[in-house]
Amino acid sequence: MIGTATSNRRWRRAFLIAGAILAAYALLAPLTSLEAAQSANVPLLADKLWFRIATIIAMFIVLATAWNIIGGITGYAAFGNVAFFGIGAYTTGMLIAKAKWPFLLALPLAPIVAAAFAALVGLPLLRLRGHYFAVASLGVGVAVGELVQNIDYGGQPVFGGASGLFLPILRIDNRGLFFFYLMSAAAVFSIAVTWWVLRSQFGYGLIAIRENEEAASVLGVNTTAYKVAAFALAAALTGLAGGIFSQWNVFINQDNVFPIEYNVQMILMALLGGTGTVFGPAAGAVLLQLLIQFLGGTLPISFDIPFVSADARPIVAQVILGLLLVGVVIFVPRGVIDFFGGRTRLSMSYLRRSLRETSL
Amino acid sequence: MGEFVQLVILGLLAGGVYVAVGVGFGLVWGVLNIVNLAHGALVIIGGYITWQLFTALHIDPFLTLPVDAVALFVLGYALQRGVINRIIRAPLLFTFLLTFGLNLVLVNLLLLTFGSDFRSVTPSYAGKGLEFGSIVIPYVPLISLGAAILLSAGLAFLLNRTRIGLAINAIAADRDAAQLVGIDLRHAYAVTYGLGAACAGVAGGLIALIQAITPTAGEPYTLQAFVVVILGGLGRVSATVVGGLAFGLVEAFGQSLPGSGSVFANAIAFGLMVLVLVTRPQGLMGRLR
Amino acid sequence: MAVRKLALLAVAAVAAFACGTTSAGPTTGSTITLGAPLGLTGSLTKESQLTQQGYDLWSDWINARGGILINNVKHPVVIKYYDDTSNANQSAVLMQKLITEDKANFLLGPYGSAATATDAVVAETNQIPMVEANGAAQSIFNQGYKYTFGVLSPANKYLQGVIDMAANLTPKPTTVAMLSADDNFSLEVANAINTYAPTKGFNVVLFKKYKNGATNLTAEVQAAKGANADIVLNSGHLQEAIAINKAAKEQKLNAKIFAYSVGPSTPDFIAALGADANYVYDGSQWTPQVKYTPAFYLTESQYVAAYKTKYPTFGDPDYHVAESTAACLALQRAIENAGSLDATKVRDALAALDVTVFFGQIKFDSRGINIYKPMVVEQIQNGVHHTVFPDSVADAKPMYPTPNWDQR
Repeated sequence: MIGTATSNRRWRRAFLIAGAILAAYALLAPLTSLEAAQSANVPLLADKLWFRIATIIAMFIVLATAWNIIGGITGYAAFGNVAFFGIGAYTTGMLIAKAKWPFLLALPLAPIVAAAFAALVGLPLLRLRGHYFAVASLGVGVAVGELVQNIDYGGQPVFGGASGLFLPILRIDNRGLFFFYLMSAAAVFSIAVTWWVLRSQFGYGLIAIRENEEAASVLGVNTTAYKVAAFALAAALTGLAGGIFSQWNVFINQDNVFPIEYNVQMILMALLGGTGTVFGPAAGAVLLQLLIQFLGGTLPISFDIPFVSADARPIVAQVILGLLLVGVVIFVPRGVIDFFGGRTRLSMSYLRRSLRETSL
Repeated sequence: MGEFVQLVILGLLAGGVYVAVGVGFGLVWGVLNIVNLAHGALVIIGGYITWQLFTALHIDPFLTLPVDAVALFVLGYALQRGVINRIIRAPLLFTFLLTFGLNLVLVNLLLLTFGSDFRSVTPSYAGKGLEFGSIVIPYVPLISLGAAILLSAGLAFLLNRTRIGLAINAIAADRDAAQLVGIDLRHAYAVTYGLGAACAGVAGGLIALIQAITPTAGEPYTLQAFVVVILGGLGRVSATVVGGLAFGLVEAFGQSLPGSGSVFANAIAFGLMVLVLVTRPQGLMGRLR
Repeated sequence: MAVRKLALLAVAAVAAFACGTTSAGPTTGSTITLGAPLGLTGSLTKESQLTQQGYDLWSDWINARGGILINNVKHPVVIKYYDDTSNANQSAVLMQKLITEDKANFLLGPYGSAATATDAVVAETNQIPMVEANGAAQSIFNQGYKYTFGVLSPANKYLQGVIDMAANLTPKPTTVAMLSADDNFSLEVANAINTYAPTKGFNVVLFKKYKNGATNLTAEVQAAKGANADIVLNSGHLQEAIAINKAAKEQKLNAKIFAYSVGPSTPDFIAALGADANYVYDGSQWTPQVKYTPAFYLTESQYVAAYKTKYPTFGDPDYHVAESTAACLALQRAIENAGSLDATKVRDALAALDVTVFFGQIKFDSRGINIYKPMVVEQIQNGVHHTVFPDSVADAKPMYPTPNWDQR
C-alpha cells in the first residue's frame, strides 16, 4: 500500500539523513588514519582493510552509475561495459609502465580512450535493439579482453601479454587514503554527471529514446547521436575507474580488469538500487558490494551458517547470493530506491503486487 | 588436401556438440524471449547424470542420453513454472539477471554434491575410429554428431507435428493471441523451457564424453550457444543446426591458423557474431524476429 | 577442524606444562598466525585444496611439537584460511584482512600466478613476508619486491628436464612440437623450451598457442601430427592435458615422447584416461621417489605415509601438496634462524636461507625465487608414477620410445 503523503515524507527524510550520515562518515573517517590524528590519539576508524573495501565500493558506485546512463536512462542494456574498464586500466597502465608518464598525467587519458572506443564501436552496435544489443555488447566485451592480452607485435606482446602489466608502486604517504579519496571523487563525479544529465535536454532525449525510440526520432531527437553520446559518456566514467584501478592495484591482466562477472554485478547494482535514478545505482552498489564482501568473509564480522561445515561455507554463501539475486529480481524489480525515496513502503502487498505485475 | 579434409571432418564432428548446445538455447530464446544464462549449468547437470550412470551402473553413455533428457525436462519445467514465469512480463534485463542467479545456485549445488574433481567418461571404444588412409573419423565424435542430429530432428518433429508443438509456435508468433485462443500459457512456457533444458541435458551427456567435467565447466558453453544461435539464426531448429556446424568449422580452421592465431578463437567467434548481428541479424538461415 | 586444532593446542600446552615444571624446558608463548587466501571455490578449487593439504600437514606436525621454537619459547601455529573464490582481486582484499584484522604475522601464498602477483603487492606495501609455493611465473619476481619468496622452481624450468632426459636417450629424438596455453605460466614454460631445446640439439618444428581452458584441441593435435615431431610437449593445465591426450589417440598422433607440464602428476589424470595415460611424462617439482637428506622435518617416505594417513582417499601426495609444505618449512626455519617474529628480521632470514628438506634444496636467488632445486621428470608406467630423471633420484628407467597407439 502506498503510504500517506506524510508518512512517505517521513521515510524519505529518514533515509536522506541516514544516507548523509553514511556519506559523511565515509569521507571523514579516513582522516583518522593520518599521522597527525594518530599522534593526537584519535581512534583509528579506517585501517588498510577499510580503505581497500571502501575503495572497491566506490569503484562499483562509478561502474553502476556509469552503466545506468546507457542502460537505465537510455534503455540500452549494455552487457559488456567491463571492456571500458579494462581499456581505461590498460591505457593508464601502459602510459605509466612503458612510457613512464606520471600517474596524474596518465589518468585523464583513460576516460578519453575509453570514450573514443565506445563511440567507434557504438555506431554499428547501437543500431541493434534489446537482446541483440545486449549480446553484441557482451561479445565485444569478451573479444576486447582477449585481444588486449594476446596482441603481439614483432613477437612481443604489446600490452604485456599473459604476464600482465606491473606498474611501479606509487610511493606516497597515506597511499590507501589517497586512492580512496580519488575513487570517491570519481564516484561523486559520476553521480553529479547523472544528476546533470537527468536535468538536461540531453537527458530528456535519452529518456524519450528509452520510452519510444521511433516517436523520439519523429519528434526531432537525433537518436543516433544521443545514443552514441550516452554510450561514450558511460564508457568514459567506467574507463576513469579503470585508470584509477590500474595504479591502485599495481598489477593488471586480462582476468582482473576484464572480468565478465563485473558486467553482471554493475547491472545488478543499478537494478537493485533503481535504474534511471540518480542515487539508485550508488545505493545498489553499496548494498550489493557489502553483501558480496560479507559473504566472502572480508568484513571484520564473522558469521556461521548452521549445519554447514567450514569447507562448504564459501560454496553455500554463493548459493545464498544466487537465491538472493533471484529473490530481488522477482520481488523488488524497481529497486530499493523506491523505498528510500519514500514513494512506496516495503510490505507484503508491495511484494505481491510486484509479483503480479511481472508474472505470467 | 588430406589435411583440409581432416580439418573439415574434425570441425563438423565438433559441431555436433555445438548443435546440441545450441538448439535448446535457441528454442528458449526464440519462443520465450529468454536469454538463459543458466544454460551451461543445465548442460553440465546432464553431464554429471551421464557420468554417474556410466561409472556406477556401467551403462553405455549414449544410452544414458534419454535419461538426461527426461531428468532435465522435469527440472526445466519446474524452474520455468515455479520461478522464471514470475518475471516473464518484466523487461528483458530481468531474465538475464534471474537466470544468472539460477546459474550461480545450480553450479554451486553441483559443487556441493560432486566436489571439484575432474570427471571423465571414457567408454571402451573411445579413441578408436574409422580410417581412410590418413583421414581418421573417431567413433565417439561421430556418434555424438549423429545423436545431435537426431535430437534436432526430434525437436523439430515435436514442434511441427504435435499439439503442444503447435501451441509453442503460436506463442512464439503472438503470445497474447495464443492466450486468447485458449492456450495455457503457463504450461506451454514451462514445456518449452523443459524442452530446452532437455536438449541441454543431452548436450551435457555428449560433452562428458569429450572432456573432463567439473561443476564450472558449463560456463563457456553458454557463450558458445550465443554464437551458434546468432550465426544460424533464431526461429528454426534447422537454422541452429547450420549455426552449430558452422561454428565447429570456424573453430577448427581458426585454431589451425599458424602460430598464435588460435588464441584469438573467442575474439574471432564473437567478432563474427557481432558482424552477423550488425549486417544480417537473422543469421545464416533464420527469420527476423 | 577448529576443534582438532584446539585439542592439539591443549595437548601441547599440557605437555609443555608437564615438561616445564621439572627442567628449564621451553614454555609456550604467543600463537603465530599465518594467513592463507585460497581459491576454495571457483575454477581453482582442486589445486587450492591440494595446497591446503600441504599447509595443514605441516601445521599438524609443528603443533604436535608444541609450536615453533624461538628463544626457548614454543609458539603454536594457526593457519587462517579464506576463500577468494579463485578471484585474484578478492585474494588481495583477503590478504589485507589477514594482515589488518587477523593480525597475521606472516603470509602463505595463494594458488596461481595471478593471485600471487596481486598478493605480492599487498605483502610489499604492508611489509609482511609472504612465502609461496604455487605461483611460478618469473614476472612476479622481476619486480624487485623484497617480501615475496617462492620455494618452487620457476616456470621456465618445468619442461627443461624432459629435454635434458631426451638428450641422453637412444635413438636420440631430434624434433619437438610445442603446444601451449596462452596464460602467463604456460607461456613461460613454453618460451623457455623454445630457447633451451636448440641448445641441446633439438629442432622446434612447431610452436602453437591455444586459448587457456580450451576443451577442443583437435586442430592443435592435427597440426602436431602434421609436424611429425619426435617429442610432443604441452604446457597448460589438467583439462588441456586430458583433451590433448584423448585427441592424440583419436587422431592417431604418435610420438616417441609425450610430455605435459601440468596434469599427469595429479591422480585425476590417470582416473580420466585409464590405460591411455601410460607412457606420458611430466615435469614435476617433486615426486615421492626423490631422495634428499632433510635437515629437519620428515623424509620423503615419512611424508608420503603422513599424507596417506591424513588423506587416505587421495593416493600419493602430488607435488602441489609437497611444495606447499615446503613453503611452511622455509618460513619455520627462517623464523628459527631469526630468533624473532619481527617481520624485517624474518624477511632477512628468508633471503639468507639455505636448507635442504624432503622437497629439495630451498634457497632463494636475489629476486626471491628458488632456482636451486632441480625439476624432476616423471613417467606414468602401467598406471603408476615413476621418477625417471635425473638418474640420481630416478627409481625406474624411462619406457622409451612410446609405442604407437595401434600397438598398445
